[in-house]
Amino acid sequence: MESRAFDRRRWRQLPVALGLLAPSAIILGAFIVYPIVKSVFLGTERCNASGTRCVEGGWDQYTDTFRSTEFQHALWVTAKFALITVPLGLALGIGLAVLAHKHLAGVSVFRAIFSSTVATSVAVASLMWLFLLQPSVGVLSNVGWIADAFPVVKQPGLLNDPDTALWSVGLSSVWANLGFTFIIITAGLQGIPDDVYEAAALDGAGGSRRFWAITLPLLGPSLLFVLIVLTSRAFQAYGEIDLLTEGGPRPDDSTTTITYLTYGRNSIMATDLGLQATTAVLLFVVLLGLSFLQLWSLGRRVHYGD
Amino acid sequence: MRRAALPALVVAASLLVAACGSGESAITAGQDDPADTDADNDAVATDDADASTPDSTPDDAGDETDGTSPTDSGDETDGGDETTASTPDTTPTEVSLDEYPACPTDALDGADGPVEITYWHGMTADNEEALQFVTEQYNASQDRVVVELQNQGGYLEVIDKYYQSGASGRPDLVMFPEYGFQQAIDSETIVPVEACVRDAGFDTAVIQPSAIQAYSTAGVQWGMPFNVSNPILYYNELIFEAAGLDPDQPPTTFDELRAMSQQIVDSGAASYGIALDTNIDSGGGWFIEQWFANAGELFVDNGNGREALPTEVLFDQATGVEIVTFLRDMVADGLAVNVGDNAGGSDNFLKMADAADPAAMTIGTSAGLGTVINVLGSGLVEGLTPDDVGVGGLPGPSAEQTAIVGGAANYVVAGDDPEVVAAAWDFLTYLISPEVQSEWAVRTGYLPIVDQAIELEPLATTYANDPRFRVAYTQLANSPNDLAHAGPQIGPHRQVRDETAAALAAIYNGADIESTLAAAAATSNALLQQYIALNG
Repeated sequence: MESRAFDRRRWRQLPVALGLLAPSAIILGAFIVYPIVKSVFLGTERCNASGTRCVEGGWDQYTDTFRSTEFQHALWVTAKFALITVPLGLALGIGLAVLAHKHLAGVSVFRAIFSSTVATSVAVASLMWLFLLQPSVGVLSNVGWIADAFPVVKQPGLLNDPDTALWSVGLSSVWANLGFTFIIITAGLQGIPDDVYEAAALDGAGGSRRFWAITLPLLGPSLLFVLIVLTSRAFQAYGEIDLLTEGGPRPDDSTTTITYLTYGRNSIMATDLGLQATTAVLLFVVLLGLSFLQLWSLGRRVHYGD
Repeated sequence: MRRAALPALVVAASLLVAACGSGESAITAGQDDPADTDADNDAVATDDADASTPDSTPDDAGDETDGTSPTDSGDETDGGDETTASTPDTTPTEVSLDEYPACPTDALDGADGPVEITYWHGMTADNEEALQFVTEQYNASQDRVVVELQNQGGYLEVIDKYYQSGASGRPDLVMFPEYGFQQAIDSETIVPVEACVRDAGFDTAVIQPSAIQAYSTAGVQWGMPFNVSNPILYYNELIFEAAGLDPDQPPTTFDELRAMSQQIVDSGAASYGIALDTNIDSGGGWFIEQWFANAGELFVDNGNGREALPTEVLFDQATGVEIVTFLRDMVADGLAVNVGDNAGGSDNFLKMADAADPAAMTIGTSAGLGTVINVLGSGLVEGLTPDDVGVGGLPGPSAEQTAIVGGAANYVVAGDDPEVVAAAWDFLTYLISPEVQSEWAVRTGYLPIVDQAIELEPLATTYANDPRFRVAYTQLANSPNDLAHAGPQIGPHRQVRDETAAALAAIYNGADIESTLAAAAATSNALLQQYIALNG
């Protein structure tokens, strides 16, 4: 009885609920849902650059594109990019956050420094790395012992060598994302009550034991969040690639990720709006699957507190 | 368990992906039967051969020299003469413009008050300031038109934004680079400048013919050239002297370039003769097109794409092999250094400033001359002053130094309001007036497209005081007015350049020249066919 009355009351509130939801629903619908649906259908067509003339390609355009050499290569590059940037970014972020979490005089200065890359745009960060890595006049190549120990810095240059280009771009990306990771993990650390550590210390747990048994597990939610965000960012990286390598070095296109294949200025699909939509939707599907996978495999193990 | 799960999944996913690969290019994605596409597209291509150019039936046999064109001598090496013979008739009354938007140039007379127009451009830094200067002068000089400049950040940004905008979002006047020409026509949003020229009775004979031809196809001029540049040779005069070379005699041909590089390297004056690159807007694409023109050869079929949409690239034939072999040998023999993709376009210049392993020369756009002089003037490069940099024409396969028009043109955007179209045309005529071209060339390093400008101040003084600025102008003025020097007109122009750039990079790394060029040509041809299918 009681629950039915509750139901009826709830239905009566429907108009109010819809009215309250309307602003965000309309905005979401117009700017998120509609473009996604439109892109999905655009992805079945081949179009000219302005999208005014399209030829129906059919749904197999998705499978054809997914299986094409260009997309397979880009997917592989993207996966490598994520495997470079995500673990490295996580490890460095945790390390710095734990270091800066000590209650020491002047530690706030270091916190400000470590989080400063959050305020640095991709363009500025990439240009800075370009000046560091440029083979002729760059800083690294003009430090004598570095140039001697690693000739690749000088010729052809870290960004021009197919073996080091992706790592170099990845490094700049890690650096640029470090501030974000640092801030989230610092916030997570501050949420861990000190008495847990004190109890552990009384039981005789040493520093590294406390880190592995308390800090990491209790950071779970923050880590999961950072992991998913960093993975998405790695899959969507564009600015640093465009500024540092333009998807090169040729002919291997060692840094042509899926985003660069889609939007890149020199991409084979740059004049075809339909094909660009195809790869964009494929990227969306890949990322969606990956996020579910991460939530599913790690989410169950994360401890959200009581 | 936790540590094993994710890597295991990643491995499983990558195995799955690897098993999925079809080994085919995305160019044909969505086309049901790849085996049929050739036949289909040839049919489209044949339909596309414009009625106004009856002799341009594409040759299905795939052999340019067997073309059915009556002017075709059947001899590939005669390309230069042949193309001169088939230069389209420039008499404007030949071609009907009825199917295109009109350009009522006298509509301004009926306007009440000033007409405001927006102009999207891609000029930055010094070039943007120069454009602002001449535009402000225009706005102040008359009260019928007000031009609002909107800087989009670069050529590519202009192109991206323009094609993603609806009719209401487009500007009234837009600047596209030379590789955006075919796409501009196919956007069906442009008023051909030819319509304005005829309506106003404007005399285009004052403009450099090659600049007009670069933006004309099948007898219709679509864009009005404005900022014109071409590639030139930059060299370090100090190294030339140290090597025992005359610093006033830069190499003018490939053979001289090789000989002088040899002398520079042998003498120890520098580590390399010249810095080359594989950027699509320089060594990997644009320069290759320039060298084709210099050899008097077409880069694509259908009269370099000037008679109908091109169906086939020609860079894998004898001329392309010769040019690429020359470049490859230079690098392989240690006379040149390949600086790679040159993202941002400065790595080749910076190689000249390399303290440990410098190159004595490089090739770059003439539009960069002002920047080079400014940078050196600021003392950024130790031991190299602005006066130490010499400038020469582009060395190439031919003894004559010639070039294709590079840079950008302005296009009148079609709209409902005749007053706006007329206002855009009025501003266009101002931009190419000798006075403005003289001012513009001095402030930027672009070359004037009206001859009269070089006799006017401030350009006359600049050319007299610093002949380096004149090199690009002389080079263009020397260029014959033929289809080879009109330059290739290609829809997917950047994509084709990307193919040549990737091929060149592979060849520098040791790949076989002929088969690599052939593969790049095959991909390019697929791109051309795809473009025809979507735009033809």
